[in-house]
Amino acid sequence: MAIEIPTLPEQLPNDAPRHVGKAVNRVEDPALVSGTVEFIDNCVLPGMLHCAILRSPHPHARIVSVDTSAALAADGVVAVLTGEDVRRWCDPVFTAPEGWGNYCMAVDKVRFVGEPVAAVAASSRYLAEDALELIEVEYELLTPVATPEQAMASGAPLVFEERGTNVMLARKYEWGEVDRVFAEADHVVSRRFRWNRVGANPTETFGCICQWDLADGTLTCRGSYQTPRFMGIGRAGSLRLPANRVRIIAQPMGGGFGGKGGPRGTDIAALLSRKAGGRPVKYIEDRMEYLLAGGGQSWDRYYDAALAVKADGTVTGFRVRLVDNQGAGAEGYGTISAAKPLAAFTGNYRIEAAAYDLTLVATNRAPSYPYRGYGPPPHNLVLESLMDCTARELQIDPAELRRRNYIRPEQFPYTVPSGNEYDSGNYGQVLERVLALADYPALRARQAAARAEGRLLGISVVNTVEPGVFDWNAYATVGVPGIGVPEGVKVALDVFGNVTVAVGFNLQGQGQFTVAAQVVADYLGVDMAQVRISTAASDVAMPHFGQGGSRLGVAVTGAILGACEKLKAIFTTVAAHVLQLPADDLVLRNGRIQRRDAPAHGMSLAEIAGLMLTRSDLLPAGVEPCPEATYVWTAPNRNAPDDQGRCRSYLTAAYATHVALVEIDRDTGRVDILDYSIVDDCGTRLNPANVEGQLQGGVAQGVGAALYEEYVYDAQCQPLVSTFVDYLMPTIHEVPMTRKDHFVTPSPVAPLGAKGCGEGAMHTTPAAILCAINDALAPLGKELLETPASPHRVWKLLQEAGSAIANGPTGTRT
Amino acid sequence: MSSKQRIEVRVNGIRHVREVEPRLTLADFLRHDLGLGGTHVGCEHGICGACTVLIDDRSARACLTLAVQADGHEVATVESLRAPESGALHPIQQAFVDAHGLQCGFCTPGFMMTTLELLRGNPDPTEEQIKEALGGNLCRCTGYQSILESVKLAAQRMKPGAPA
Amino acid sequence: MKPAPFDYHAPATLDEAVALLTRLGDEGCDVKIIAGGQSLMPMLALRVARPEVLVDLGRLEALDYIRDEGGTLVIGAMASKQAAADSDLVRRAQPLFQAATELVGHRQIRNRGTVGGSFAHADPASEYPAVALVLDTEFEAVGPDGMRTIPAADFFVTYMTTSLEANEVLTAVKFAPFAPRRRWAIQEFARRNGDLALAGVAVTLDIEAGLCRDVRIAAFGVQATAVRLTAAERMLEGRPAQPQHFEEAGRVAATALDDPMGCIHASPDYRRHLVGVLAARALTEAAARPQ
Ligand SMILES: Cc1cc2nc3c(=O)[nH]c(=O)nc-3n(C[C@H](O)[C@H](O)[C@H](O)COP(=O)(O)OP(=O)(O)OC[C@H]3O[C@@H](n4cnc5c(N)ncnc54)[C@H](O)[C@@H]3O)c2cc1C
Ligand code: FES
Ligand code: FES
Repeated sequence: MAIEIPTLPEQLPNDAPRHVGKAVNRVEDPALVSGTVEFIDNCVLPGMLHCAILRSPHPHARIVSVDTSAALAADGVVAVLTGEDVRRWCDPVFTAPEGWGNYCMAVDKVRFVGEPVAAVAASSRYLAEDALELIEVEYELLTPVATPEQAMASGAPLVFEERGTNVMLARKYEWGEVDRVFAEADHVVSRRFRWNRVGANPTETFGCICQWDLADGTLTCRGSYQTPRFMGIGRAGSLRLPANRVRIIAQPMGGGFGGKGGPRGTDIAALLSRKAGGRPVKYIEDRMEYLLAGGGQSWDRYYDAALAVKADGTVTGFRVRLVDNQGAGAEGYGTISAAKPLAAFTGNYRIEAAAYDLTLVATNRAPSYPYRGYGPPPHNLVLESLMDCTARELQIDPAELRRRNYIRPEQFPYTVPSGNEYDSGNYGQVLERVLALADYPALRARQAAARAEGRLLGISVVNTVEPGVFDWNAYATVGVPGIGVPEGVKVALDVFGNVTVAVGFNLQGQGQFTVAAQVVADYLGVDMAQVRISTAASDVAMPHFGQGGSRLGVAVTGAILGACEKLKAIFTTVAAHVLQLPADDLVLRNGRIQRRDAPAHGMSLAEIAGLMLTRSDLLPAGVEPCPEATYVWTAPNRNAPDDQGRCRSYLTAAYATHVALVEIDRDTGRVDILDYSIVDDCGTRLNPANVEGQLQGGVAQGVGAALYEEYVYDAQCQPLVSTFVDYLMPTIHEVPMTRKDHFVTPSPVAPLGAKGCGEGAMHTTPAAILCAINDALAPLGKELLETPASPHRVWKLLQEAGSAIANGPTGTRT
Repeated sequence: MSSKQRIEVRVNGIRHVREVEPRLTLADFLRHDLGLGGTHVGCEHGICGACTVLIDDRSARACLTLAVQADGHEVATVESLRAPESGALHPIQQAFVDAHGLQCGFCTPGFMMTTLELLRGNPDPTEEQIKEALGGNLCRCTGYQSILESVKLAAQRMKPGAPA
Repeated sequence: MKPAPFDYHAPATLDEAVALLTRLGDEGCDVKIIAGGQSLMPMLALRVARPEVLVDLGRLEALDYIRDEGGTLVIGAMASKQAAADSDLVRRAQPLFQAATELVGHRQIRNRGTVGGSFAHADPASEYPAVALVLDTEFEAVGPDGMRTIPAADFFVTYMTTSLEANEVLTAVKFAPFAPRRRWAIQEFARRNGDLALAGVAVTLDIEAGLCRDVRIAAFGVQATAVRLTAAERMLEGRPAQPQHFEEAGRVAATALDDPMGCIHASPDYRRHLVGVLAARALTEAAARPQ
């Protein structure tokens, strides 16, 4: 039976949707503000031990010996794990592309600073850390591979010797007649960009408690897991367990943003539990471990990119060559984030041809992991910066240049050259609204006045398309198999008509429990207070994925609606039998199955559920006494990629335009954001407060990436950032309080018309800030093409500009 | 090797007498010895502010304080905010809920305890004063705008004479 | 990230503290004082500091005061920085010190961090040592041989090192009267609001008949310890208090600076440049301050 998922809130069987579309308070918040939520470090199990991990101080070294005898004899120590145990019991983690993974702990050699080399389980974390100091490791130092250039040089030391090369992946894509459009272009605008490593840094680091039941060979892992079943399958692989003997219990998380890491910590804690006779072992990554080697480093990119442009400003071609320093292997799936830009390669524009030349190299930096956006933030920075460079060269206003190149409203659904299909949109409308919201003419006037005083003000008008609801097919081209990302729920009514929704994921901050409660309440016509959302362990939950790729809000909505549709069918059958009416005469409305033509005649869902559970004698033949239904949603209509990676990958295409005003302090190079406006369209806003929170949170992370955050390594590949004293995330002083407005163009293909909206601001803000900086620098004839725009970097450019003036043709300095 | 110390600390109005290792941080003492898990730990080196509690009514980083240093002092944690019997939320908590001042909620106890100190000393803070007070707390989720609104809402509701 | 083990004492009196420090030191024990812990605790957590014994001054309530002693402002070592920031007496008597205190970290840090701890810690990026150099500041310390007074110029030795002996306790900081006619300013540059400064400058000066007199300029965050920028001070002495001279002083200060530090946020060159900019700004601000 095909199930129709409503694509508009108005289609919900309720006279007035009472919850969907409103900024209702979140169901998760009372416990969160009370401090009673069970974040993993709040969990305590009987007999629990505490793990601490000894990490490599060297970026590249052979392990000659590890002596743990003193540690084993130390106070409180129960077990010590080394690479030898790991070699015996484990396989390297699965990676894409295949074969670039590490074991959870170094077995022969270490490949980055912070790689685990031994671990201790002791009766307290304090004692475990004491014991680490007693472990003696002898290393034979190897030459580190620090940069992609070094990695690709012939005769370079190899990070993974067995691979014979440091190049993990090299691929060229070509979409359309790229050579022709570049040959026919009136202008080719090309630049090199450098995006330095940044990362997620959720306020809570990764943590887990693992218990290896030696009697029945089942491993149970509780932890801050954002993709529980996926994590379970990975552990089954690395720990050589049958997948049904790995149970993952996701605890609520203190943020994630992709970079929650976890596989290594989980495997190590699990193996320690095995060594400790099955006692539970807790591992809480500390911030230093997170910064050095957790899942928190992403996007270490070098770009060479160009636009082909006609004299009238029509952009016809986009060429990108990307070299990405992935660090020591592909364990974090940082590799596939280089493929995500295919989903929106040419942004908001009608660019007819594009090419992407991708090289991913291994070095002795920490392996890279996903971070919010998963690839488009740097890609979009490149595209939007080139648009601005074009605008400057052609002396066209940047907003006007964009206006001329937008995909037009009547062109949707629109297939981009790289293959994905955008579902809906009206880019011009959003642009005009944000220009009005920001009072763009006034900003330009303010800039002109400031320039006259010698001040450096800059303005940007920057767009994005946010591919929402990811699908594995987007990554098939770089070695990930599969199409479809199942997300399943069970919706159950109890004997009193209360509703429980069992999901496979736990809280991370985006408010999905609230959205789930809103949707189910509106479909079943109950109050949100009657709904409970509950996380099932991975072994009993329906197939699920969890947070990732701007999908969960949409996916869980689809799953709930599917389950509710099934419930409607069952309840209608039961009601028809009990009321002795033809099922076709009955409809679900406002929580009742009632006669279409006589609404007073019917039964409430609570009555039906109660009857099903207590009066089997009244049920029609073949109907189980089960007022529950499951549904597993995946995006409809996805297909396999062709040889150029083209496919319908991400289901929805939200979009936004940001307008930023910045000022550069001429003396110090410091950049201040003076004004910031956003207009976005992410289709139906299931809970507008959630959407605005996602936008503003993305702006903050974008500000961090654009101005403050950077994982710095020295030339020997030693990380120079290991605390929050040096990894600078924006505080309340650095993040602009933004002006926001929106449009709603419902997705024609997504449940209730909602589009994925968790990442868009992170795609846009770094570009918006860098473009504004370059607008400010324009009078000096300078451009900054590297992030973050730290004061030091900006100052260097100002110095160059200053000395250029000093050494100018007249040789005089004004 | 390090001898335990006997300490007496009043936490959220309740007297606790414990023997602790001198190196135990107040954050670990509250979280693991007393089971008060609402005081979160995000960095353990004094930057993130997630562990903010009040010691003798003044905000402090629980990760930068030893449990032994709290001997003889009063500590208030996020668990002290909610009304003990009814479970009613404190106006600051309610304002964070109503103004969507949290996402993952991990930083929130620190922000709320900082806000409590601010509003006790300055019931009618300006936006600048709120920012100044919250400048030592990191939030990775919200982008701070809704936190600022939450604090303004709390101030408005807590002002003497404000309608309940 | 947990501290290594240590023993702990919290003496009830200053004498007891000094005796303890002396005895443990004589026994060859690695002893450290803890006051507010706001600098020491992160170092313990990272195990970069791993003393065998901590002596906590937390019970020495006698050292927690702020008072006027015949025109001299005296702040007990254990007074919190927030108390200093909030004190009307400090604001009136030593406005520069009060302003510098507000720049230190965040309220949570100032609530627990002590005035004495900041001086004893002698972090090169701290505002306090530079302020001490431009004010007439003296440090009072008590050791086994009794009390001694150390002028600021002799107190700060090098990176996180003062002339305090291991068994001496800093007990008070004394600020000579700050003449009401005297101008002052402090300017700093940090990556984010509240961070330790990449560079900063504190100035005091008189302006008599439009001319600069008794100019004192000190920089922090740029070398192993705070430094007086004497070349710029000399250059300005007697010059008109005008922007072009302040800018000139900034240039002189930057040029004369020996070996500024480098770090991932700022190269030596950039720090040198910042000192010049901040010196000019501080002088301009000081000159413009209403009397
Ligand atoms: C997030 C953060 C931001 C900060 N920002 C700034 C800033 O902007 N500017 C700034 O200046 N500081 C800053 N600090 C440091 C802070 O000001 C510390 O409080 C101060 O440096 C030390 O004071 P304390 O009382 O905490 O000393 P402690 O940490 O207890 O001790 C510091 C050192 O001084 C010694 N000591 C302490 N008291 C005495 C005494 N009476 N006699 C002898 N020795 C003693 C100790 O043995 C130790 O070596 C910051 C700290 C943090 C965590
Ligand atoms: S945990 Fe205490 S400040 Fe971060
Ligand atoms: S709500 Fe997640 S860190 Fe603030």
